[in-house]
Amino acid sequence: MILSINNLLPTYFDAQRANTSDIWGKNIQFNKGELVKIVAPSGSGKTSFMHFLYGMRNQYNGEVKYDNNSLKNYTPEDFAKARSNNVSIVFQDMKLLPEPTVLENLEIKRQLNPYHNGDKVLEMAQRLGVGSKLHSKGKTCSYGEQQRVAIIRSLLQPFDYLLLDEPFSHLDNANAEKAMALIIEEAKLRNATVILADLEKIDFYPYTSIYYL
Amino acid sequence: MSLSFKPIKPLLLTGGKGGSGFFSFLGLGIGVLLLLCSVQMYINIQQLLKEGSIRKDGYDYISITKPITNATMGQPEKSLFNQQDIDELKAYPLIENVSPLLPNDFRVMLSAGDVVPFRTDMFLETLDNDFLDTLPPSFTWQPGQQNLPIILSSDFFEIYNVFAPGQNLPQISKETAGGMVVHVHCEGNNNNEVFYGRIVAFSDRVNSVLVPKSFLSWANEKFGKGKPVLSSRLFIKTKDANSTELLKFFDSKGYKLNKDKTLLGRNKIVIQGIFSALGIFGLLVVILALLLFSFYLQLVIARSKDNLQLLLTIGYSPKWLGANFSRRFVPMYVIIVFGALLATQIMQWAFHHFIMYNRPELSSIVHWLVITIAVVLILLSVITNYRLVKKLLYKLYVNE
Repeated sequence: MILSINNLLPTYFDAQRANTSDIWGKNIQFNKGELVKIVAPSGSGKTSFMHFLYGMRNQYNGEVKYDNNSLKNYTPEDFAKARSNNVSIVFQDMKLLPEPTVLENLEIKRQLNPYHNGDKVLEMAQRLGVGSKLHSKGKTCSYGEQQRVAIIRSLLQPFDYLLLDEPFSHLDNANAEKAMALIIEEAKLRNATVILADLEKIDFYPYTSIYYL
Repeated sequence: MSLSFKPIKPLLLTGGKGGSGFFSFLGLGIGVLLLLCSVQMYINIQQLLKEGSIRKDGYDYISITKPITNATMGQPEKSLFNQQDIDELKAYPLIENVSPLLPNDFRVMLSAGDVVPFRTDMFLETLDNDFLDTLPPSFTWQPGQQNLPIILSSDFFEIYNVFAPGQNLPQISKETAGGMVVHVHCEGNNNNEVFYGRIVAFSDRVNSVLVPKSFLSWANEKFGKGKPVLSSRLFIKTKDANSTELLKFFDSKGYKLNKDKTLLGRNKIVIQGIFSALGIFGLLVVILALLLFSFYLQLVIARSKDNLQLLLTIGYSPKWLGANFSRRFVPMYVIIVFGALLATQIMQWAFHHFIMYNRPELSSIVHWLVITIAVVLILLSVITNYRLVKKLLYKLYVNE
């Protein structure tokens, strides 16, 4: 599956934004196995971009295409299929279910299309330091813990594209590096493309291409 | 690993004990019970009143007359049926056939000869053979024949035996009457002749003194005044004399019916009206309950909106979620509708056993139509439910 964007620009942005951006208003294809870094200062539309790629919002001109199929033509069922088989995401605001436990949050995602077994889930949780939190409710975890759970959740399915929207904003460097290593490992396992958007460059992300939003 | 709804289930009923759900299920139960009972009673009435009239070969025979009022007295054209009336009746779809009861157009006197000192003015009538309930092979006549076969009304015979002792006349059994010969004196048009009448049968249906049609046609021509003879009474052959539609038709024409045979039909109109109204009320309650339940579903979905939206966002199919969510209520629907069906069955059994004393026209088991309605109601509830949930989930998708 190949992701490409054509003249993509939010409807609420000036057309002139295209002149200063590497992404807005451009035609770009994100190839398989690439590690893409998007540097995006506040207000440059980073989250909008991620949401457009994930098909959560459609207030844009231009097109987002997977294998030449525009997201604007996707039905809810197409989205459901793509989100459980081809595209995974870590949201900036984590989006965990508040009442279920951490483990339930992970299982609810994993059962959709299990790429790993249950043991691997425990191993990942241990590795990112949330092993002791598996039976705590999502809402009782700290932001840092929630962020790590959200990262693990995104790695439990098969994917061609992994979208990361400020994935380490609540983590210290040591934990962020651990999470980064896991992400890269999992992406390689699937020969997947990682698109990471953050406010500034992250030293420990071995990107292969960089874009300024 | 198959997709399980178990971990999803707790996400869908947040913040409520389902009070509105309980009331909508209760309403549904009451509505379905009312509807099924009404349909069953409606069918019971149909089956009971099918037997309400004298039938022959699957047909009912009833007689109609035009009412005689002070306004129509002395104007035979207003109280007699003309050919146009008969044709109109024949054209009505629920009427299979019509036969006028033709009277004599000359003077007829009856005497018992020398056996019983009895002489009276009399009338004769004739009807198509097809309309007679008892038709012995001897009921024929040809010109030149002195013997005249007669079919007498059982009611008339009863009346004779009632007044005979008071008139110093002997009471007679049907067997004896059949063996007696009465003298039928026909006079008119300057002719007169005596025939030897013999009662060959008794009729429960036709209140008259009937002779073969060939005789009366011949006699009316010979002794009559030469005018066409009109009938004041018509016999109607129909599939169902208690058909409410047929009775309404007669009412609209202002015809008067033989009341005994249609009294049940009149009651049937009223009773069926009551049960139709009850059935419609039941249906309304069912619709209201389904509406209430749809509000309950909307409430549940609105309460769980955040969770549902998140599930859709991480890749759950709205179709799968909708189907599994709706499926949770299917057992409840099945229990409610079959509970109502069981209650209807008990009611039907009790009605048949205790009120109708096991009459053979009725069954202790509910009619198949009632069972069909119950199944259709379940399907209807499940389908409308599923469609509503799916629609609400798609709406969440658009709004996300």
